[in-house]
Amino acid sequence: MKIFVLVEHRQGKVRDITYELLTVGRELAEKFNGEVTALLFGGVDEKIDRLKKNAHHIILVEDEKLKNFNAELYQKALVPILKDEKSYIMLIGHTAFGIDLAPALATELDVPISTDCVGIQIEDDNFITIRQMYGGKLNAKVSFCEPGRYIITARQAAFPAKDGNLDGKVISMPSPVGEIDYRKFIEYVEPPIEGVDITKADIIVAVGRGIKDKDNIPMVEELANALGGVLACSRPIVDAGWLPKERQVGSSGKTVKPKLYIAIGISGAFQHLVGMKGAETVIAINKDPNAPIFNEADYGIVDDLFKVVPVLKEKIQELKKG
Amino acid sequence: MDIIVCIKRVPETAEAEIKVDPNGKDIVKDTLNFDINEADNYALEEAVLLKEKFGGKITLISVGEEECEHILRMGLARGADDAIRITDEKFSELDGFATAQILYSVIKDIHFDIIFTGCIATDDGYSQVGPTLAELLGIPHATLVTSIEVKGGIARVHRELEAGLLEAVDIKLPALFAVQTGINKPRYASLIAIRRAASKELKVLSSKDIGLEEPRRKIKIESLFVPPVTKRAEIIEGSPPEAAAKLAEIIKEKGLL
Amino acid sequence: MNSVMTINSEIREAIIEEGGIDVYKCYQCGKCMSACPWYMVENVVFPTYRIPQLVRLGAIMTSEEKEELEKEVTEIYRCVGCENCVKFCPRGVSLPDVIRAIRRILVDYGSYPQELKSLVTRIKSNGNPLGEPRSKRADWAKSLGVDKFTSDMEFVYFPCCMPAYDTRLKNIAESTVKILKHAGVSFGIIGEEETCCCEAIRRVGAEKVYEEAKKSNIEIFKKLGVRKILVTSPHCYTVFKNDYKNDYDGFEVYHTVEIFYKLIKEGRIKPKKSINKRVVYHDPCTLGRQNGIYDEPREVLKSIPNLELLEIENFSREFSLCCGGGSGGVFMDWPSGERIGDVRVKQAIDTGADILAVACPYCLMMFEASVKTMEEEIEVKDISELLAEAIE
Repeated sequence: MKIFVLVEHRQGKVRDITYELLTVGRELAEKFNGEVTALLFGGVDEKIDRLKKNAHHIILVEDEKLKNFNAELYQKALVPILKDEKSYIMLIGHTAFGIDLAPALATELDVPISTDCVGIQIEDDNFITIRQMYGGKLNAKVSFCEPGRYIITARQAAFPAKDGNLDGKVISMPSPVGEIDYRKFIEYVEPPIEGVDITKADIIVAVGRGIKDKDNIPMVEELANALGGVLACSRPIVDAGWLPKERQVGSSGKTVKPKLYIAIGISGAFQHLVGMKGAETVIAINKDPNAPIFNEADYGIVDDLFKVVPVLKEKIQELKKG
Repeated sequence: MDIIVCIKRVPETAEAEIKVDPNGKDIVKDTLNFDINEADNYALEEAVLLKEKFGGKITLISVGEEECEHILRMGLARGADDAIRITDEKFSELDGFATAQILYSVIKDIHFDIIFTGCIATDDGYSQVGPTLAELLGIPHATLVTSIEVKGGIARVHRELEAGLLEAVDIKLPALFAVQTGINKPRYASLIAIRRAASKELKVLSSKDIGLEEPRRKIKIESLFVPPVTKRAEIIEGSPPEAAAKLAEIIKEKGLL
Repeated sequence: MNSVMTINSEIREAIIEEGGIDVYKCYQCGKCMSACPWYMVENVVFPTYRIPQLVRLGAIMTSEEKEELEKEVTEIYRCVGCENCVKFCPRGVSLPDVIRAIRRILVDYGSYPQELKSLVTRIKSNGNPLGEPRSKRADWAKSLGVDKFTSDMEFVYFPCCMPAYDTRLKNIAESTVKILKHAGVSFGIIGEEETCCCEAIRRVGAEKVYEEAKKSNIEIFKKLGVRKILVTSPHCYTVFKNDYKNDYDGFEVYHTVEIFYKLIKEGRIKPKKSINKRVVYHDPCTLGRQNGIYDEPREVLKSIPNLELLEIENFSREFSLCCGGGSGGVFMDWPSGERIGDVRVKQAIDTGADILAVACPYCLMMFEASVKTMEEEIEVKDISELLAEAIE
């Protein structure tokens, strides 16, 4: 059983998901007596020492055309490597990269695929993936109908990354792809910054659906100001037009790693959690004791945010003065 | 510009309590409200916007039982021209690949410039059908599309990456786009359009009609379960003033004030 | 531009079929427009009298232009169901019924405001407008020593979803229980088997959900042997009394103020503690204008020692100005400056009152929200809260 991991990189740097996949890959390799091969297309601008520690082999396909992600070209580069293999697991991140590439790749190779997995396990010789469904309210055990070859896309930050101590051998391969005219990467587009970069803040106070009305947001902003922090939010607040996109924390917004993250009226859907998991101390205020946010928080208050937030602001101000 | 929009009828789960069925492989559905999948609704609106600009026809397709005719009519009332429903008793427990296969069997004989799908369904969340369908049809695709501009047979799309970053990609038509929510503002349906849609004839196709005896399933749900509670927060008790005071102290103790 | 119009009888017939028959009675006198609470809101023009006319021509909500259509839908969803227009109409046209007929068609096609769509979804799947779990419906009563209703009890107390789940409104239910226990009234609650009365979303146009909820509630009432039901919300009151009764013989419906009044008259409760405040009473549209209950709440307030009862001149009793919360108004997001509740709160403040007293959970929510955005000092209280304070 061979384990392949597609190295995900952007603007010259390897993305964290790659190391998460490599960690999972090595665990699977041990179980199946196989080896992990990292597939690096296009090349990166940084040294690949960390990749070497984490994979047995690194197949390097240097090609300008593959420097920036292009699902069609990546698929064309992957197929020759995989098409004659009879027993493998191909691990790809369930990212903007992987969502575009993996299902089409699986179709061309005629291999079953399980997407957005948060767990992988072996049960009675059965290869099982764990996925979330219904907005994260339920998990599913999903098995494959055809054995031997599997493609799995893994959710970001669902598997921990642990560096190995391998000494990956780099194998250079010529690029199998030619020019195509039906899909061209043009450029990256940075989101417009309207003055606040929440990723630089040490203290973030984020507001979610529970705030119910745009007019209630100033109350939360006052708390943020009292703490010397910045105001952020979850996606529904941006969709409703109550705060600009640059304030959004989550998989389609910003990833933040502040010292303190206070989630107010945020239930904790996984798209949001992904953006703030790296915070040092997380506090959640939500009136639903079963809100998933409490699984990510260090401290919580289960109560009506409209009662707690104003009073919390006062206490903070008092403590700061005294 | 002829456009096909693939839509799915899903239960609304964001605000509802979801319970696992006694058989352990499905959810209890009778108290749930069903509607068109959120991302598909945005896909339909994007199609209508393009039709307003370039003219042409919009065809809706959905795989499902009679209940999904309602969302097809809702789509017709919002600007689609035709609707096709594909169903058969042999179609049970479809996964992403099987669904794409069914759609492919119908779409391959229809002329189109663009196919729109939603990029994720709120029930199973596979994000699979779009790219799979594109591959079966042999056309290029792009997912997580947040804007699309068409000129001279090329679509310039923006794809949503992580951390708010977008990438601009040029895709040659005919192509498939899996659209992200928030790409536009879906419109209402007027009473005139509703009346028209209410009496419109929908095309219903069975497995025999599309030449696909049994769609191939590649993955299977073994069981559904409530996710285990992992880390639990230390809950601060007391009335709002008491809890707030304790919390403020904790924040101070951590040197964050 | 075409100045010739085609009458679309199909649209007209569809609306009449859903309950819009009154359109034939209208002669566009325009009285409804000045009776409508939106007339009192400066920035809003809501041409109510045009609606029956447009329906007759089948020319309502026909725009195929996206922005125009959005304005039309917004307009159709302005009506809060206060029924002041019905009262003033010289021909008794029920404009809310006509509007509801149009809404039923829109709701069937999902073509209505998102806030109300979410509201309907929450009520359908969880049985309450807040989307809270059904299992927690009786949590408010846990520490109050309230028993589950059994057929040997006189009343079933139906608190309304909002007091059952909302942290501020819970106080109404708690105050009511305190008063009932104090007077030794025999009552129990149903808890998680009961479902929202759906009066608000019925007005929104979600008729199917309303019928399902009605069927479910009546089944429970029959099963438990409910004969008398005591409600906090005039909205529950009006559907139970005027619609449920048709399918459930012998069902008697009372609003809490009616019972409070009776208990005071019979001497079973004696408000002894003073409330030294000036209190202005707001007649909830559904309790007052629609069901004729005006005196009982006033007598209850007058029975409290040292309470000075005030009236809002010209806008009292059947002329009461709506809070704007009916018909899903509580969950709508009208821009600030465009809120009926603000106008009413200003009227209340202008009487010099310290407290604005209400007898409806929606009125309480709307007024407290207005007081907050207007940054005013006046307190908003339910009659049950005031009475409970007075019988300490």
